[in-house]
Amino acid sequence: MRQAVLEYGIAEDDWVDLSTGIAPWAFPLPEITARAWARLPENEDGLEDAARSYYGFAHVLPVPGSQAAIQTLPRLRRSGRVGVLSPCYAEHAEGWRQAGHVVREISEDEVEHFIDSLDVLVVVNPNNPTGRLLSADCLLAWNARLNSRGGWLVVDEAFMDNTPRAGLARYGVQPGLIVLRSFGKFFGLAGVRLGFVLGEPRLLRLLADLIGPWAVSGPTRQLGQACLLDQSSQQAQIARCAAASERLAQCLRRHDLAPQGGCALFQSVAYEGAERLQDFLARRGILVRLFKQDSRLRFGLPAREGDWARLESALGEYRKEHA
Amino acid sequence: MTAAGVALDALLGEPRRHHPLVAFGRLANRIEARFNRAGRGWRSHGVTAWFLAVVPLTLLATLLSWLPLVGWLVEIGALYLALGMRSLGEHVMPVAQALRSDDLASARQRVGYLVSRQTDELDAEAVARAGTESVLENGSDAVFAAIFWFVVAGAPGVVLYRLSNTLDAMWGYRNERFERFGWAAARIDDLLNYIPARLVALTYAVLGKTRLALRCWRRQAPQWDSPNAGPVMAAGAGALGVQLGGPAIYHGELHQRAVLGEGAPADADSIERGWNLVQRGVWLWLLVLCLGGLIDA
Repeated sequence: MRQAVLEYGIAEDDWVDLSTGIAPWAFPLPEITARAWARLPENEDGLEDAARSYYGFAHVLPVPGSQAAIQTLPRLRRSGRVGVLSPCYAEHAEGWRQAGHVVREISEDEVEHFIDSLDVLVVVNPNNPTGRLLSADCLLAWNARLNSRGGWLVVDEAFMDNTPRAGLARYGVQPGLIVLRSFGKFFGLAGVRLGFVLGEPRLLRLLADLIGPWAVSGPTRQLGQACLLDQSSQQAQIARCAAASERLAQCLRRHDLAPQGGCALFQSVAYEGAERLQDFLARRGILVRLFKQDSRLRFGLPAREGDWARLESALGEYRKEHA
Repeated sequence: MTAAGVALDALLGEPRRHHPLVAFGRLANRIEARFNRAGRGWRSHGVTAWFLAVVPLTLLATLLSWLPLVGWLVEIGALYLALGMRSLGEHVMPVAQALRSDDLASARQRVGYLVSRQTDELDAEAVARAGTESVLENGSDAVFAAIFWFVVAGAPGVVLYRLSNTLDAMWGYRNERFERFGWAAARIDDLLNYIPARLVALTYAVLGKTRLALRCWRRQAPQWDSPNAGPVMAAGAGALGVQLGGPAIYHGELHQRAVLGEGAPADADSIERGWNLVQRGVWLWLLVLCLGGLIDA
């Protein structure tokens, strides 16, 4: 965002920021007790229980953002061969490479070729930025094949909160399966830096040791707990996101930019003029995320009617100019 | 200089960020994308690609090590970056510790992070066997082979070895897309490990039960399916007086592997003694090099 402010000379408040996959409606913030600020945070203060019931999974480890797990997991294993299902959020491949593993980015139809020689396979599901959702059957089959050689399947479910039934948590503990959940995106509170790792208890203990004590701050723990328990806001958020995402898809279709995929928090458009369109929108104060490599744009959800109107008119202008 | 590189590794372990091998991995991916598009590369493409990936960087290491004043730093740095000794210890010792405290579940888990096979149903002895095999074998390619090539050819030698090792991991897949293209990378890596593996076997033998080790090497190594791991593990098992190898489960199927070594069943102790053997081996090599240097002077 800051870079866009400098590059296009538009003040930060004047932007319509659609560049993230973060829900544009932040959850109501609970009151944080003075104690949470004053004392060292303690485990099992209620956050873990709230997460257990929210995710429907018995073993959860809170981490300071799933990024912390992405960087720490690779250090648990002796260097080996890691496959990252691409296209994919770049930090995964980076984390494994930095820890000395040999990383191969593989496409979905290549998994069959490589899975039996991999130690670890990393999958973002639903995928960011394409929005493709892999079935639980497929993932559990991969998990079983990897686990037959002691390997891991790491599934980053950062965008799964809107479709909890599609997540892997409900299949219970599976050996060699590690699920990462992100807090900030669905709850619209990305600044909080909170995430959860779901997996075998023993693995979670090793991971916790490596991340170190007091990793998640007291206020964050209180806030997280309140949001995870607030079922009525969650239902409202799911409905709101679904409506906005559908409206966004329709809006893009109207302007000849039919999305190839997406989820409740973004729509993904592969388009040969992606770079040009990104620049066109940015000049009009609308920031979308460009994935140069596969010439793709990711549109996050607009929140206010004014934002919708600006997006509509900018896309309309673009279509006229480049028809 | 060898001692300095080893000391750096022992002090610092592997550098966390910006390991040069990360950049090399990107380069190798680009080369592979060019020469093995859709898995259509031949063996000859694999050979060309290997040379393209390895030779320029090896030459660069040569030039850098010739620089006045800082050349020797380049040499030590190259060895440090190629050694994986401390990291080996960090992954092996937790297995022994878990076995010692009778925590079989943790021991299975830790050894599973080390050996790429299903460890959920191993008993304590099988875990100890896997751990000991791993420390003996990895000692050879992550530690001794790197030192060997450093001593033979300095920075270029160790760079050449480590890059070849990395390419084997990147391209040495046994699947349709890589069986032709990856052939060269796998064979060259075997070749570069051929002499070091035998020196390691000898080192293990000298520092342990020598006779038993030599006998195991001679009789058991030919039955092992890998030409370099055979001598290393047979001699290592003999040197420790412990029984390794034997049946193991890979891909959910029981594989009859040759028995290596002789004597007591493996336990936490054999893992620790194996790790100790690797460390003493490094000291022995450093000592021999010093003596060699003295005689040379």
